[in-house]
Amino acid sequence: MHPEKTKHAFEPKIIAFVCTWCTYAGADLAGTSRMQYPANVRVLKFPCTGRIDPVFILKAFQQGADGVLVSGCHPGDCHYIAGNFHARRRFAAFRKLLEFVGVDLGRLQFSWVSAAEGGKWVEMVTGLTERVRLMGPMQEFKELALEEQWSGAINTPELQEAYNSI
Amino acid sequence: MSRIGVFICHCGENISRTVDVERVAAEVGKLPGVAFATDYKYMCSDPGQGLLKKAIREERLSHVVVAACSPRMHEKTFRKAVESAGLNPFLCEMANIREHCSWVHQDRKEATVKAIELVGMMVERVKKNRVLPTITVPVTKRALVIGGGIAGIQAALDIADAGYEVILVEREPSIGGHMAQLSETFPTLDCSQCIMTPKMVDVANHPRIRLYTYAEIERVEGYIGNFQVTVRRKARSVIEEKCTGCGVCMEKCPVKKIPNKFDQNLGMRPAIYVPFPQAVPNTPVIDRENCIKFKTGKCGVCRKVCGPGAVDYEQEDRLIVEPVGAIVVATGFDLYSIEEKPKGSPIKGYGEFGHGRIPDVIDGMTFERLASASGPTGGKILRPSDGREPKQIVFIQCVGSRAREKGISYCSKICCMYTAKHTMLYHHKVHDGQAYVFFMDARTPGKNYDEFWRRSIEEEEAVYIRGMVSRLYQKGDKIVVMGSDIAVGVQVEIEADMVVLATAVQPQKGADALAQKLGISYDKYNFYSEAHAKLRPVECATAGIYLAGACQGPKDIPDTVSQASAAAAKVIILFARDQLEREPIVARVREAGCVGCFYCKKVCPYGAVEEKEIRDRQGNLVKVVAYVNPGVCGGCGTCQATCPSKSVELDGYTDEQIVAMIEAL
Amino acid sequence: MHDNPIDTSIYAAVTEAIQGEARRILSEGHVAAVVGYAAARRKGSAQPVVVTRADDAGKLIFSAACVNNLAVYLTKARKEIPKSGKIGIVVKGCDLKALVGLMGESQLKREELYLIGVPCAGVLASTIQPDTALTAGTIAPKCRECDAHLPTGCDFVPARQPVTPELEKHYSAEIARLEAMTPAERWAYWKGQFKKCIKCYACRQVCPFCFCEQCLCDRNKPQMVETTPRPAGNFAWHIVRAMHLAGRCAGCAECERVCPMDIPLNLLNRKMAKELKELYDYEAGFEVREKGPLATYDEKDDQSFIK
Repeated sequence: MHPEKTKHAFEPKIIAFVCTWCTYAGADLAGTSRMQYPANVRVLKFPCTGRIDPVFILKAFQQGADGVLVSGCHPGDCHYIAGNFHARRRFAAFRKLLEFVGVDLGRLQFSWVSAAEGGKWVEMVTGLTERVRLMGPMQEFKELALEEQWSGAINTPELQEAYNSI
Repeated sequence: MSRIGVFICHCGENISRTVDVERVAAEVGKLPGVAFATDYKYMCSDPGQGLLKKAIREERLSHVVVAACSPRMHEKTFRKAVESAGLNPFLCEMANIREHCSWVHQDRKEATVKAIELVGMMVERVKKNRVLPTITVPVTKRALVIGGGIAGIQAALDIADAGYEVILVEREPSIGGHMAQLSETFPTLDCSQCIMTPKMVDVANHPRIRLYTYAEIERVEGYIGNFQVTVRRKARSVIEEKCTGCGVCMEKCPVKKIPNKFDQNLGMRPAIYVPFPQAVPNTPVIDRENCIKFKTGKCGVCRKVCGPGAVDYEQEDRLIVEPVGAIVVATGFDLYSIEEKPKGSPIKGYGEFGHGRIPDVIDGMTFERLASASGPTGGKILRPSDGREPKQIVFIQCVGSRAREKGISYCSKICCMYTAKHTMLYHHKVHDGQAYVFFMDARTPGKNYDEFWRRSIEEEEAVYIRGMVSRLYQKGDKIVVMGSDIAVGVQVEIEADMVVLATAVQPQKGADALAQKLGISYDKYNFYSEAHAKLRPVECATAGIYLAGACQGPKDIPDTVSQASAAAAKVIILFARDQLEREPIVARVREAGCVGCFYCKKVCPYGAVEEKEIRDRQGNLVKVVAYVNPGVCGGCGTCQATCPSKSVELDGYTDEQIVAMIEAL
Repeated sequence: MHDNPIDTSIYAAVTEAIQGEARRILSEGHVAAVVGYAAARRKGSAQPVVVTRADDAGKLIFSAACVNNLAVYLTKARKEIPKSGKIGIVVKGCDLKALVGLMGESQLKREELYLIGVPCAGVLASTIQPDTALTAGTIAPKCRECDAHLPTGCDFVPARQPVTPELEKHYSAEIARLEAMTPAERWAYWKGQFKKCIKCYACRQVCPFCFCEQCLCDRNKPQMVETTPRPAGNFAWHIVRAMHLAGRCAGCAECERVCPMDIPLNLLNRKMAKELKELYDYEAGFEVREKGPLATYDEKDDQSFIK
């Protein structure tokens, strides 16, 4: 009865920041409707997308997330009147910054998923998981975390010597 | 050190079928800080909750994580259980391993791993949870009702009859609204004024209702239970306390020919006037734009003839501040002004059907005034152009309504019924006349409604033509109406003496401006938005503000009155308590870190952020910081995400809690 | 080409005018102090100074070495500024933008300031050799794309018109160069840059908009940004800082000037400014506005990036 599951060499870690009123409820609906999607996603519930600080996205990547999904209420549906409108601007700016420092935006997905859109939730999670699976692990931040500080840019012989002697 | 208790629910087999719950309990039991971990068949059941309470006591648990269904389902249940065992309810969190795990994944291994991680994240989060005391706010047991139509009148009377004071504010000089304009009402054909005016008098005489007519809302501050409303009482030029309502001033006023808005500009009134004879209060108002005294400084007849000396030309607008605990918004509707496009209106289709150009093309409300016994024609249906009785009359439904391409996609709901009523009224008054109705569908849900509509056709001889009017033009003293009858598939041409348009119901002008003052949301048509379309249809998302009548959407009188009474009941429920309890998910400012850039204030959708001065012991100003009023805060947390130094924190969703979860990844 | 001199001959007259105006407002009691530049010990160098007596007004100068943005002395570095009374301040067009931003963020009040605007042809990129002539090669990168040579809305501006040759735009060219790279190349570029960071926080210290009393990045409960100068923490710090300055920074480029490791910090800020201009048609620093682009919204904002 169970379909044969394909084994993948790489299973990405996907973290989803969602608002409680729309997307979390949409994900609940996907559950009550017994829809199926990859088990890679971990959902963090916020009252509103307006609460989601860009630092959290950064933090998620630093903590080993290979993909991040941010999802909230459609414009006009915000339980808190305008939180998603503020979030929309904040993320529009933040993604440009991430892109500029070299983060592949394929790993970062924004969506509006309403409480009625269980199917769309599945689509978002599946789409991002599959895309990131193809992209491979998010090495950049992981490598950074492993690197020790050593200022290569002032690589004078004296400094090199001093460094080696430490 | 935390002593966290973790409870894994099987949910019958809903969870345990896919997730190895025993394994989850075993794994999370190893996490630092977890003192107790177990699994159980049904955590939400009585024995399940008993297990939870017992463990809290016996294991001296400091925090609780219940891994079960969605917190949207049972968070309240478990927090209550935790509270009854002596822990603060906000020290309990739920991990959603059903909707977000067992139901959406089939691979047992994957689902189990995910469940372990989800629970692990909640364990880390709950460690950072703080005791949150319930927030209580006092309740001012007085209500404000905005709008004195049938909705506002009903709400005001109900609240006042329950024993609470009510401030009723009406923009026009008299209460009564549109219902006072109507001739007879469907589906019973009882005279509108006969059922309306006693209620208006009740309002005027009610010891607990304070009536401000010719007044508008200037400003609204505060929050549920504690609003401060500033009301602008416009200068009436007549002192209400002195006026006896004798009406001599109106008789003697030399300006007589001002079109009366109440009569849809068909009747005339003087410059000092009451809009209609049964007005409440029966105190005239001077229309300063048309009054000779105000225009030229001469005249002054009304002051001379006023026995009690009530006329006061120097009167100015007065601002009155009223503390109230709840607000009912009942500002009603207006008809789509097809004749002239209001500035900035996104709606197209103005100037259609000759309205405004052909004098005998009128709207439904004008027909009501013609049919009203107290109207400008004394209840005779006469053409505005030449005063002749129309022998052929055409009614056109859905003018504006249900026309997506023109910008109004909704159904105005009342037109089918009132048009049917109009055909009857016409038939009763013009026995040899013939009424035709162009319609798309007849929408008649409602008690005795369909019977009423059928009667207009079967007994009152109205001819219904299914189809829209394609063209309409004046020919001599006739109006030629061309349309198609799609039921038969032929073109129809009627030479009518009069045409009545059932124009769309729209919110009152200025509805958006009022909403902004109140801080409530509205849709693209400016109809006010309820908190939930089905389950909270009379409440606004902004706590303490309730909706009644057509300001929320097109409604007939029975629906309006029902909603008004429902809104009143909501107010009475609120007033039944001395203190209001609210969930303590609110933002708090860490004053030490706040530098007063007020980004929080700029983004707060609730206006909950105030400026607070910090002074040293000598009283010197140290700095100005933000203060979040917990009564007003909606708990969205937009302030915290915006605050550069994170000096404002949303309780229940602090950075510590969230980062703990991310770090548990 | 690089040696093309830039005409700074007006600076002498500007200096004179500043001195005269400072003397007048101090002696007439309009202001309690004037914040400006004075000559420093080394030949040609300049340093910030707070003048409280009319007799000291002669100390004030303006030259191509007057690089500092003095706005910080009105907010977090107020130690030498009198606590009460109006403060006069010498501002270049770029510095004025910071003041305008600070007014919008409730940190300064216009009525408490007396603004002495400076017609400016440009300042030096580096003051390591302060006696250097200002040329197309030595001018600060920010001056190459300056759109505020003459500050507007000041209380006093000497009537001089700076001569400003058209120079190749540094930041625009750099942004375009980086934008043309692949994400991996850009990552490598910034990794190389941020790697150099020693977390001295000079960029924060000198920035007029880093006025928080407790920086988010210094907090440990929770620790949002790793504080040690390791690559991961450095990256996070500079991203967070760029995000916090988005829509606020008007490009005084002090962060970049003071950075001992020569990290092109203003490049990040200019990129964000460019994006916010494109997205919301917002430019910081031109008028006092209550809400910056990230403190407001429009229902019709672009959401093409949201599914």
